[in-house]
Amino acid sequence: MSNAILESEAAMAGGTPRQGVEQLSMQQALNRALDEVLTENPKAVILGEDCGRLGGVFRITDGLQSKHGENRVFDTPLAESGILGMSVGLAMAGFHPIPEVQFDGFAYPAINQIVCQIARMNYRSRGTLPMPITLRVPSFGGIRAPEHHGESLEALFAHVPGLKVVSPSNPHEAYHLLKYAATRPDPVIFMEPKSRYWQKGDVDVSAADAPGAGSPTGAKVMREGRHLTLIAWGAMVSRCLQVAELAAEDGIDVEVLDLRWLKPIDADALVTSVRKTRRAVVVHEAPLTSGLGAEVAQLITHGCFDTLKAPVERVTGFDVPYPSGDLEDEYIPNIDRILFGMQRVLEYRRG
Amino acid sequence: MAEISFPLPDLGEGLIEATVLEWLVSPGEQVERNQPLVEVETTKSAVELPSPQAGKVVRIYGGPGDKINVGEPLIVFEVPDNTAGIVGTVPKEEAPKRRVRLSAVFDED
Repeated sequence: MSNAILESEAAMAGGTPRQGVEQLSMQQALNRALDEVLTENPKAVILGEDCGRLGGVFRITDGLQSKHGENRVFDTPLAESGILGMSVGLAMAGFHPIPEVQFDGFAYPAINQIVCQIARMNYRSRGTLPMPITLRVPSFGGIRAPEHHGESLEALFAHVPGLKVVSPSNPHEAYHLLKYAATRPDPVIFMEPKSRYWQKGDVDVSAADAPGAGSPTGAKVMREGRHLTLIAWGAMVSRCLQVAELAAEDGIDVEVLDLRWLKPIDADALVTSVRKTRRAVVVHEAPLTSGLGAEVAQLITHGCFDTLKAPVERVTGFDVPYPSGDLEDEYIPNIDRILFGMQRVLEYRRG
Repeated sequence: MAEISFPLPDLGEGLIEATVLEWLVSPGEQVERNQPLVEVETTKSAVELPSPQAGKVVRIYGGPGDKINVGEPLIVFEVPDNTAGIVGTVPKEEAPKRRVRLSAVFDED
C-alpha cells in the first residue's frame, strides 16, 4: 500500500481538500520551496551542473532560471570542487548559495571544500565569515542507478564539526525543511532521498508558523505505537511505515520516528519514544560499521538503559561498496530484514 | 512530456562530420536504450549509432546522403517529464510483500 494513497485519502477526507494543503511530489515541493526562497531572499543563488537551463536532472530547479534570471540560477562546469569552492566565495561576499551536487557519489571530489572550508570558515574567522550555504545532495539508493549515483553519506557529513545534516522523508517535510535549511546562517547538508522524488503527498504550503506546518527542527513521530520504535530517515521512513502496518497484523504496535535532523540528532525525541516502547530498531541504507545507527543506538542506550527490554538493533546496508542496480534490493534494508530485526528485539530475554 | 535533443557525438579521431547512410528508426517510433538509431559514414568508417536512452522519436535530422556536423542535432526524443534526464529508473510503488511474521509475548509488561 503506498503512502501517497493513504495521504491523499486523508487530504480528501470529507470530500474537500484542507485549506492550504496541496498534493505535490517531492520534486514539486522542493521546487516550490526554492522558488519561494529565491523570491524572499535577493541574496539567494542556485548553482550546479544542469541546474539552470535544463532545470536539474531530477527537475528540482525546473523553471527557476527563466523566472529568476541567469544571475541567480546558473549552470556550472562539471567540477564539484569548483561548485563548492565558488559557494565559499559567494558566502564570503554576502550571498546565500544553494549549490547542488548532482548525485551523492560526486560529493567526494568536493569533500575538501565541504570539510576544510565550508564547515570551518565561521570558526576560523572567529565568526566574521559565516557560511550560509545549503548544499542539496540527491542521496541514497533505490533508482537502480550506476556506480557513484547512489551512496549514503550522512555519517560522513554528520561527523564534521560545523555542518548540519537533514533529510526529508516526504513532500511536506521536503518543502518545510528546505525552506528552513535555506534560511539558516550556517551550512546545512540537505540530503534528498532520490527514490522518493516522484511520490506525491499532502503539503501544507501555508506559512511555516501555521499549525499544519509543524516544527522544522528535531525528530518527528510519524506513527504512534506502544511496543517498539523504528527509527529511520529519508527513504527508509516510508518503508518503516509499511513495516508498521504489517506488524499491526501480528498484534505488534510500532512507533515510527523520522529522525529528520541527522546532525544535531534529537536525543530527547529518541529517549521519549523508547522510554515508552522500551524496544528500538534503527534502520538505514548506509553500511553498518560506523554508520549513524551506532550513534542513535548509543543515545538511546544512554537515555533508556534502565528500561530497555533488549539491546538496540540495527538493520542497515552491508559493509560493501554500494552495489549495482541488479543487487540493490538485496542491499537496501527490505521489509523482511526489518521484520527480522524487530523479532530479534521482541524475543530477547535478559539473563 | 519533455523533449530531449541528442546531437551527433564526436565519433573519434577528431572527425568533425558524418554522412547519414540510413535511418533505422522513424518519428513516432518508441525506441529502447542501445537500440541502433542510424547508420552514418565518416571518412574513416561506417558505424551504427546506438540510442543513448529510451523514448519516443519526435524528429530526425538529415536524410540519406546529408552531412551532419558533430554537435548539431541528430534526433529528438520525447520522454515523460518525471524521467527526463534521469540516470536510473523511477521506482514503482508496489504493495509490500512479507515472508517474516512477528511473535511476541508481552508477559511482564
